[in-house]
Amino acid sequence: MTVYAVFFYIIAALIIASAGLAITRKHMVHAVLYLVVSFIATALLFYLLGAPLVGIFQVILYAGAIMVLFLFIVMMIRMAPGADRPFPAGHFIAAFGVCGVYIAAALVLAFFSGPEAGRPMAAAAASPAAFGFYLFDQHWLAVEMISILLLVALIGALHLGRAGRRKQSGNKEP
Amino acid sequence: MTDWILFIPELYTLAAGGVFFFFCLGRGRPGRDYAAAMMLSAAGLVLTVCTAGFEGLVFEGVYQVDLYSQVFKALIYSGFFLTVCLCADLSGVDKARHSEFYLLLCLSTLAMMLLASSVHLLTIYISLEISSYSLYVLVYFRRGYPKGAAPAFQYFVFGAASSAVMLFGFALVYGAFGTAHMAELMGQVPARINEPVVFTGFVLSLSGFFFKLAVFPFHLWAPDAYEAAPHQVSAYIATASKVAAIAILVRMIALTGGQSDRVAWVLIFVSVASMTAGNLAAMAQKDIKRLLAFSSVAHAGYVMIGILSANAMGYTGAIFYGLSLMVMKFTCFMVVVKAADGGRNIKTDALAGLHQRAPVLALALLLALFGLAGIPPTIGFTAKLLVFKAAMEQGLLWLVIIAMLNVVISLYYYLGVLKAAYFTAPASQPRAIAVSLPFRLLALAMIVFMVAGGLYPRYMTALAGAMTAGLLP
Repeated sequence: MTVYAVFFYIIAALIIASAGLAITRKHMVHAVLYLVVSFIATALLFYLLGAPLVGIFQVILYAGAIMVLFLFIVMMIRMAPGADRPFPAGHFIAAFGVCGVYIAAALVLAFFSGPEAGRPMAAAAASPAAFGFYLFDQHWLAVEMISILLLVALIGALHLGRAGRRKQSGNKEP
Repeated sequence: MTDWILFIPELYTLAAGGVFFFFCLGRGRPGRDYAAAMMLSAAGLVLTVCTAGFEGLVFEGVYQVDLYSQVFKALIYSGFFLTVCLCADLSGVDKARHSEFYLLLCLSTLAMMLLASSVHLLTIYISLEISSYSLYVLVYFRRGYPKGAAPAFQYFVFGAASSAVMLFGFALVYGAFGTAHMAELMGQVPARINEPVVFTGFVLSLSGFFFKLAVFPFHLWAPDAYEAAPHQVSAYIATASKVAAIAILVRMIALTGGQSDRVAWVLIFVSVASMTAGNLAAMAQKDIKRLLAFSSVAHAGYVMIGILSANAMGYTGAIFYGLSLMVMKFTCFMVVVKAADGGRNIKTDALAGLHQRAPVLALALLLALFGLAGIPPTIGFTAKLLVFKAAMEQGLLWLVIIAMLNVVISLYYYLGVLKAAYFTAPASQPRAIAVSLPFRLLALAMIVFMVAGGLYPRYMTALAGAMTAGLLP
């Protein structure tokens, strides 16, 4: 095991642990902070794999901008901690149990298949300019499609927010 | 240089979305929104049919326009148009929200069209996400549903989980081949599909499409989402969304060249499991929409038989099955929308006396249910015949026998619905269902199509056969 592999496993464990903590915390601020840890660890992983640019994006955009926005929102609306689960625990078990078996079966097959399964990839370190040129030259359709995805998400968020508010005001005025 | 002409149907759909976007900004006017949606979707359907002959590669080769994608686009657009036809009585949705409703429906259609043409894993992933996200939100458009956001949230969690798994699978495939372009993968995958990394990556990447088609381990969202969504959205999920899922699944499985027994076994497992689970669960349902949801799960299993056969007949059968499912499921939902006043959910026994209240609808329902159960001379029988024949060609007689047993099970609940519509006497004096003339014509068109597809499927199967030409090595 090389020193890179040791680092990889440490960082991977950190990502999984912090992501697990993030989705189980009842207090929203704690959850967001754990998510920040998870994102920064992901950035380290990118750096380790020889993609510093993506790592920096991860820190600036995800851990920086988006998570700060999350923190602002959580602190502004002061969501009460400890809301009920959105659906019964039985559903969680059914969903993740079934999907988990499917994934586990596939992964077991991958792990028990001997060393020829691993195939080293050449590390590709691209300059920001080359990366940007490649992205907007070869995959600009995908970039434009993501803007539609964001529009849909925005409409969805707006609808969810308004529907919730209407229900509350409806309850107040019988 | 991008040849923009090839991209016209998508641009048109985007522009139609833009129209509804501007409607959203002003005060909600349901009548205007409905009229605009009817005109825009009808014109779009005509446009997609006219552009069916286009061929070429656009956007640096990540977007392939060919007969396969164009016919699927026309099918998806028909699903959209038919769904809009049901929106005359959109009482399940808040009046002020109709333009948002149409906007999301439009964007979801656009995403499915992009999905039908995408030949790059990145583009496939993003278009699948757009269509799913629009549907998550649309499911929550139901006005005054007692369970609130829970079913939509459940749908979302399932979708997010399976798309994460799919992304992991894509990453493995990309890692193994160093390319995410289907044209390049096509030459390399068949030789290496039994390598563990490739196999694992491939099977995991199918999960997102299985979720879309509601195949067995990924079907648990279906009954709740169908039940909670406005009827029109359930109809859309059962028609256009399923067609798009079949389009991309056939393309993905064609990548393997049908050379791998391991992949075939995975597909056989999910096929048998979803047929059996869907049919057994459907027997216990009282709510019609839940029943139709489980029947969708069962039909996903039959479609998988065609896809896993991985021969020309199998792909042809799967495509034809997609078309027939769209027509039959739409007809069922058409009856549900008309029989349920005020956008309520109805139980099976609420159909009592339907043949007196609305004879045309009752006849359409009869043919649609016969088709779903695979009774000749309907389109559903031809579709089942094609996929079973494909499986027989591959020597999978036992799989066909299991499927036949499942068909017999499904007869029980389909005939249960028919019994309610034709033989059960209604509790009170039956009130006639007002069916307007255009709606009656639509029902008649569906009836004619279902019978014609059963008696003269030759042109449709020939078209489906021509579509699969580019998929086989």
